[in-house]
Amino acid sequence: MFQMSFSTFRERWELFAGAMLSVAVGVALVQASILVLAATGNPRIPPGLTRQQEDEVREGFVGAATVMGMTAFLAMFLAVFIVSSTFGFTVAQRRRDLALLRLTGGSRGQLRALLLSESLLLGVIGSGLGVPFGLVAQHVQIWLLIEIGLLPDGFTAPWRGWAAIVACVIGIGVALTGVFTASLRAARIRPLEALRETGKAARVMNTSRWLFGLSSAACTVAMIVWAQSTNLIGALLAALGISMCGAVAMSQLSPLVVPLTAWLLPGGLVRANLREGVRRSAATASPLIVLVALLLGLSGTFGSLAAAGGEEAKRSVNAQLVVTSTGEEAERLPAVEGIAVASRQNAVDITITAEVPDEGTTRYYSGIVAVDAADYARTHKLTPSAWNLAGLTGATVFTGPARHGDGINPGQVLSVDAAGQPLQLTVVGGLLETLEAGDSFLLPREVLPRHVWSGAPTETVVQVAPGQNPADVAQRIRQQGFGDVRTVAEWATARAKHAQDGNVEILIVLMGLAGLYALMAVVNAAVIAGTERRREFAVARVTGLTRRQVIASAVAEAVAVALIGVVLGCVVAGAGLAGIGAAVRKAIGVTVVDVPWALLAVVVIGSVAVVATTSGATAAVATRQRPVELVTAKE
Amino acid sequence: MNSAHPAVQLHQVTRVHGSKNTGVAALDNVSLTCPPGTWTAVMGPSGSGKSTLLHCAAGLDQVTSGRVLLAGHDITAAPDSVLTALRRRTIGFVFQTFNLISSLTAEQNVAFPAKLAGLRVSKRDVRAVLAGVGLADRATHRPRELSGGQQQRVAIARAMITRPAVLFADEPTGALDSASAKTVLALLRDMVRTAGQTILMVTHDPAVAASADTVIFLADGRIVDGLHAPTTHDVAERLAKLES
Repeated sequence: MFQMSFSTFRERWELFAGAMLSVAVGVALVQASILVLAATGNPRIPPGLTRQQEDEVREGFVGAATVMGMTAFLAMFLAVFIVSSTFGFTVAQRRRDLALLRLTGGSRGQLRALLLSESLLLGVIGSGLGVPFGLVAQHVQIWLLIEIGLLPDGFTAPWRGWAAIVACVIGIGVALTGVFTASLRAARIRPLEALRETGKAARVMNTSRWLFGLSSAACTVAMIVWAQSTNLIGALLAALGISMCGAVAMSQLSPLVVPLTAWLLPGGLVRANLREGVRRSAATASPLIVLVALLLGLSGTFGSLAAAGGEEAKRSVNAQLVVTSTGEEAERLPAVEGIAVASRQNAVDITITAEVPDEGTTRYYSGIVAVDAADYARTHKLTPSAWNLAGLTGATVFTGPARHGDGINPGQVLSVDAAGQPLQLTVVGGLLETLEAGDSFLLPREVLPRHVWSGAPTETVVQVAPGQNPADVAQRIRQQGFGDVRTVAEWATARAKHAQDGNVEILIVLMGLAGLYALMAVVNAAVIAGTERRREFAVARVTGLTRRQVIASAVAEAVAVALIGVVLGCVVAGAGLAGIGAAVRKAIGVTVVDVPWALLAVVVIGSVAVVATTSGATAAVATRQRPVELVTAKE
Repeated sequence: MNSAHPAVQLHQVTRVHGSKNTGVAALDNVSLTCPPGTWTAVMGPSGSGKSTLLHCAAGLDQVTSGRVLLAGHDITAAPDSVLTALRRRTIGFVFQTFNLISSLTAEQNVAFPAKLAGLRVSKRDVRAVLAGVGLADRATHRPRELSGGQQQRVAIARAMITRPAVLFADEPTGALDSASAKTVLALLRDMVRTAGQTILMVTHDPAVAASADTVIFLADGRIVDGLHAPTTHDVAERLAKLES
């Protein structure tokens, strides 16, 4: 059986090339991600940084680890997808060959074994290519992560043999998983089909497609319903789940959905071909559905969350202006005419040590803010979860939104190192969790030595006196020598934008990857379809079409399929975003949804360009031979 | 093989395409016996049920009613595993389109069914069978490097390597030029004479049918005529009568 697999492989390598490449890229990314992940697990902090900068570096490492984890997962998901659609396609194409095997005495088990060993071969070769690819991928990934600021300069990930082994095992597993349903389908081919000149066209919507398609669709619908009534974390998970399940459902059911959508197109050969070449259209549309659903779903989700965070920040303050300065400078603000309250919030560089239930003794360096409790309470609408901000006087401390879930309870005494001066502060309350991470601790400015807060970066939230025009007050503040004066709306937008910047950069990494995969899948589908259509093209030319017309109609058809794929992907992404919108509404009272229009435009133009180019090129190659040779050729 | 039994026996076989009440009978109450070591040709106009007869006799198609026996085994309602075992040892196929596996060489194609059956065949046996069909020097060629006649001879060698009780042939010379067709027919004739091979063959070429020991004529799914030791002229005449 293996000999047979091997010779099939050698004979029809172009059929398998796309799947092999996707396994190789999958293995490369998994291996590189594991290596980078392993290296970030033990962060080496460059010397000479402040503790806050060190914290940032550590956070960067965590971010890098998250990106790598998502990359590995996405790569595997897409590789399974491409391998299974490739094998689905080859089984359909090789129906007669496979029936012939049955005719000459092959059992169903042997047929399954044949396909499994073909995919094993594909997995082994793909994995073998993947290991060296992985070294390249690792360099690119580290470069990207340093470039977007998640990892420090000079970061390296040492080689670990086990990572390559794990990646190869995963690669082979992916290949075998991908071939599974195709092998079941192949085993059902009847020997008689070998004898028919044109075996009756296999139904494209076979049982497994129905099964996977409908169950994924059911999961998607369940998650859409659930997302409407859950909290934000639930909606976030649901949005990711909807993007994946919905993409699978749409692409499995695409033989139904694509021809249906084709009704919207003007009539003629293109529409007829779309409805006729259902398998081909589905193979091209599927990867695009997955790409668009994942990409728009993910970036829309992150964008919406960031926008919602900004909106929440805007609503959380009961003020009109935000001034950024040092602590010393900010002390002059309360005296400015027209200001009712100026809540100065100094981000101080001190260390707080706390006993945290799950993590033991933990030191905090960042997100520690010194305030005047009374001013803070008048300018903020945050609901304290326990006690009252009025209690924040003397040797006390409040936990901020970022520490809400850590289990630091009122009554607990925290040790503080304020620039060498030891302090003991009692926790007297905490603020509720917010969409943005927020601050870690609030403490009264009066307990700190002046030099600790005087030079600290300070944001002052300004409430203007009744009857005063905020613009006039802002003008007066500027005249006092403060350069950075913003309205609350500007400040909130900038915060959201800042929060989203990190996400966008992470998305660029993932997007490039997903785009690469979709590209491979589309090229794969186009190449396989091109070989399949050689004769059909020849017939069209014999019927009177010029070569140019044949190519043009193939391109038009492919572009139509690409657009249908993009639209269906948008439907899935939209369903995920609707859930986010509902959850955000529950959390902060308004629906905030961020539709990534620019990304959508890039995806539409990019996918149409790729599809048009590949289908045009394959059609050109497929029509190079004189049509009469193909029309009359036997076997 | 069990030589006491007829190689192929069809007993009142009916095959209806479509539903039982409204469908079209491709075979209508056909009974036929092929004794071991004989060559039977099935003729008839297009749509007379020739191919259906062959498919039913070989267990590739289910009969609607009646019984089918192959070398004494009742295969009428046999499960797939039994039919698979039969295809490995008891029956061989040769078709108009040569149905070789394009990625395998001639000798790999010949050895393949035996390998599927888990039998070890020596390279010498394979070469001997290929030499028997006159292709000793083409063993390592792939199908596309062979002419039509050569491909058909590889297909015959493949069918013969397991020494099946019955060889089913569907228009074996349909895609060949006349010289190649003669070679193939002579090969089949020789197998029947010297090795006692049983052949059931479908054709619509009177000259091909005349190579057989017996010719039966089908029309509208029924056996309507038969000839022993036919000549091309006799066969053509009967066929013309049927078609008029």
